Amino acid sequence: MAISVTTQEIVVRPPELELLINGQTYRLDTGSSVPATATLASLLREHFGLTGLKIPCDQGACGACTVIMDGKAVLSCMILAVEAQGHEILTIEGLPSDDSVVKAFAEQSEPGYGTALQCGFCTPGFVMTARALLDRVPSPTMSEIREALSGNICRCGCYAGIAQAVRHASENMAKASTS
Amino acid sequence: MKPAYTPRVQRSHVGQYRPRIDGIEKASGKAKYAGDLMVNCRVPGILYAKVLRSPFPHARIRALDVSQAARLPGVVDVLTFEDPDVASLKLTNAGWTDGVDTLSYERMMWRGFRDRRVLGSHARWVGDEVGAVVAAESEEIAEEALRLIKVDWEVLPFVLDAVDAMAPGAPIVHPELADTNILPEDTVGGADVFVDKGDIDQGLTDADVVVNATTTYHNATQNSLDNWNCLVEWDRDHITVWSNSYEAHQTRMHISEMLEVPLNSVRVVSPYVGGQFGRGDTGDQPFFLFTALLAKRTGRPVWFRHSRRDSFHDGRQHVRYEGTIGAKTDGTVTTLSFRSIGNVGAYADHSMFAIKFAPVEATEVAFAHIPNVRFEARGVYTNKMPACMMRGVGNSQLNLILGRLVDGLAEALNLDPLDVASRNFGHQWEELPDQSLAAVLATGAAKISWKEKRHLPGKGPLIDEVKRRGVGFSFHPGWHAEWQELRRGEVHVTMTVNADCSVTLDAPTVETGTGSNTCNVLGCAEALSFLGIGSGDIHWISTVDTDVSPQDCVQTDSSVSFLQSEVMAAASKEVKAKLLERVAPLLDATAPELDIDAGFVYRRDAVGSRRSLRELLHEASLDPVTVAVSRRPLGTRTGIPFIATFAEVEVNTDTGQVLVLRLVVVNDCGTVMYASGAEAQQIGGQCIALGESLTEEIIYDERTGFPLNFNWIDYKIPTMADMPEIDPVLLEVWRGGGEYGACGIGEGTVTCTPRAVLNAIYNAIGVRIDNIPVKPESVLKALGKAF
Repeated sequence: MAISVTTQEIVVRPPELELLINGQTYRLDTGSSVPATATLASLLREHFGLTGLKIPCDQGACGACTVIMDGKAVLSCMILAVEAQGHEILTIEGLPSDDSVVKAFAEQSEPGYGTALQCGFCTPGFVMTARALLDRVPSPTMSEIREALSGNICRCGCYAGIAQAVRHASENMAKASTS
Repeated sequence: MKPAYTPRVQRSHVGQYRPRIDGIEKASGKAKYAGDLMVNCRVPGILYAKVLRSPFPHARIRALDVSQAARLPGVVDVLTFEDPDVASLKLTNAGWTDGVDTLSYERMMWRGFRDRRVLGSHARWVGDEVGAVVAAESEEIAEEALRLIKVDWEVLPFVLDAVDAMAPGAPIVHPELADTNILPEDTVGGADVFVDKGDIDQGLTDADVVVNATTTYHNATQNSLDNWNCLVEWDRDHITVWSNSYEAHQTRMHISEMLEVPLNSVRVVSPYVGGQFGRGDTGDQPFFLFTALLAKRTGRPVWFRHSRRDSFHDGRQHVRYEGTIGAKTDGTVTTLSFRSIGNVGAYADHSMFAIKFAPVEATEVAFAHIPNVRFEARGVYTNKMPACMMRGVGNSQLNLILGRLVDGLAEALNLDPLDVASRNFGHQWEELPDQSLAAVLATGAAKISWKEKRHLPGKGPLIDEVKRRGVGFSFHPGWHAEWQELRRGEVHVTMTVNADCSVTLDAPTVETGTGSNTCNVLGCAEALSFLGIGSGDIHWISTVDTDVSPQDCVQTDSSVSFLQSEVMAAASKEVKAKLLERVAPLLDATAPELDIDAGFVYRRDAVGSRRSLRELLHEASLDPVTVAVSRRPLGTRTGIPFIATFAEVEVNTDTGQVLVLRLVVVNDCGTVMYASGAEAQQIGGQCIALGESLTEEIIYDERTGFPLNFNWIDYKIPTMADMPEIDPVLLEVWRGGGEYGACGIGEGTVTCTPRAVLNAIYNAIGVRIDNIPVKPESVLKALGKAF
């Protein structure tokens, strides 16, 4: 006598990782493409070639790997790639080409403050931190700027120029919104 | 708005305040650094190399078992010190050149100190690259393989302190070289007494007042954000190296000489580099060699990179200076002498440059009017991280004692230290007072309100019951005038005028952030202004590739800012002559009868109409006009300009905290080549300078010899929140030779700050602290509030 047994088919597959990066959705196989230990920073650089962010310290001390996650500046070297599942990630490559912060960093040359970048290695991290600040606080005071950017290291020491660039970006945003 | 500097000569391009030419590329994250070119998705199939590092400050490898590591899946190759490829390599030094010239093995600058064995078996500091290197399919596998290597270590006694290392019976760091840790005298650095002018004892007899002091400069490191890396491909007989080394042609020379392959078999490519600060990477690091050997053996591209921890690799020499100054009651110095002990760490590399070479330069240009001067120095091996080059090499340590002696002497004589400085210091080609020194001092003093804020030591008003303020300054001669760059050999520039009058500029130098690329474009626009073009019409080639680039003008001494522009100024006539030869037949004239102005060609005798150069070039031939020029720097001895930093501090006498309220950084530039870039160097240098003054220091566990803070959490680099207000002041008083007569300033912006801060602290609290970094506990100890 045949016994009919209803079983639920179980298929063991590595879970897929779904990432929303710069407005596009990507599905990655966590088995082969994304080692469980991969940080978001290394995934963005190694797999996606988004090399604007840098990984100088890999321990959350310098801010050069900063990206914006759900509107907030985060250190991508301190987040596992798998933790980014379902979150919206914005890297510097995702900013519009006329982004006011990028422009202000590039153009700072107001006498007395130097430039806002020299070697440029830390710059994408500063730009993303500043971008997140201005999105939240469009007209920050100097002490708010200093506080917000104090997690980023610029060894070329362009802090005065960077602060000035953030100021200029904020002023230009205000002008653009009133005009 | 802060005030802009006033140029001595108004020029169309040179000297501008303007954005950097790479501003958008870098701010948008599009600029590519070596590490960006090597990511997995861009270079599939690369192998990752990881080297074994010593866990002990001093140990020998008795035996190595790599069998388990070699069997780990994903491991492709394991190279050990016993392999003939490695064991046959010559003894070397990681300081072949100070970055000014390109040097061979035989002619390396510190050939007296060939103390490095590539991947040897004798470890001399915690972190020393020894024993074995692994190539694997991923960095994680390579790291795991290192853990599987069984090392039979013979742990040896170690020594960290230079004075201890000089004592009889101390563990010897390089027993194969000598039975002492004291570095021998050598032909480049000279004798231990390497300056001995006049008679310092007579100077003491002549003096009415004598001041002695001892200062200690600790061992900070450069901390470029862009960790060292290289990707090496070895295809048949051709080696290609992509790297963030800042000296491409020296890297090529190093690899060629050490691996004994022809120079034209090695191609080195250096794109943008994320900061330099003098880090000891002139391309002479052993890692280039073992990475290349792995590439040869595996037939695959191999990537080696430092982690942040590995990047604590070399730094400034810990130097203890004893100094004596004597003077007449009117402040005229009669004697000046120094004795120093430099802790060079595990390998000599460039340390004797800092300890001997740099002070010789300073003596020549700053102590020329002091009758009796003596310097005596010793470099000492210890089991610490090796010292090498760092921004302000040698001068930073010297300034810490020099500024102390001047300040102390002025106090003893009841004079203003500004007057003591102007009365005595200057170069031999000028009468005293030195105009440049007088100008930087007067300008800085006015900016910081010296007369108003200076008071007797510790006698200023008490603020909030516990805080005291003070001001201080220090000064130093610059050291990057054109005549000081003769060792570079020729400086190369290639200017190509295209048929549309746009210009392609090959002024090869590795772009590390200094701003020299923008200086070069401004210099080119100035030199070729007859083309009627702006700086936007000039394309500067940003990557040095030794297969196609002329020899790179090494990014040191801050002097690339003007050296290549001087060559362009000298070459502009040749560019014009070639263009005129090209278009003359179209105008029925000979080239000498014609001239070009604002992009138009006209007859010198004013007969006929002006024709657009661009139109004529399109008619004549579409071939670009290329002028390649090489020229040695001018050797005319013009002396040097001076640097000064003024500081105002507030010291909390309860907590020991030192708050730097303001820094005024004054540089006489000769000619400002690019104002925004020069100010960025003046302001930017203070990150390193204030870090060294107050927070940055490598801390060792004295018991184990283990460094405790090879990371950016425990090694404290100033951030935006830590920086005071900084006033950058650019002057043009001194003048060098050539069209611009400029002098590099960037390196020296770090030099005077620590002493300026220490003198300001003394002015605030009336107790001397002469060791940096000044941590709260040092202040409390000085005040007798802690022990």
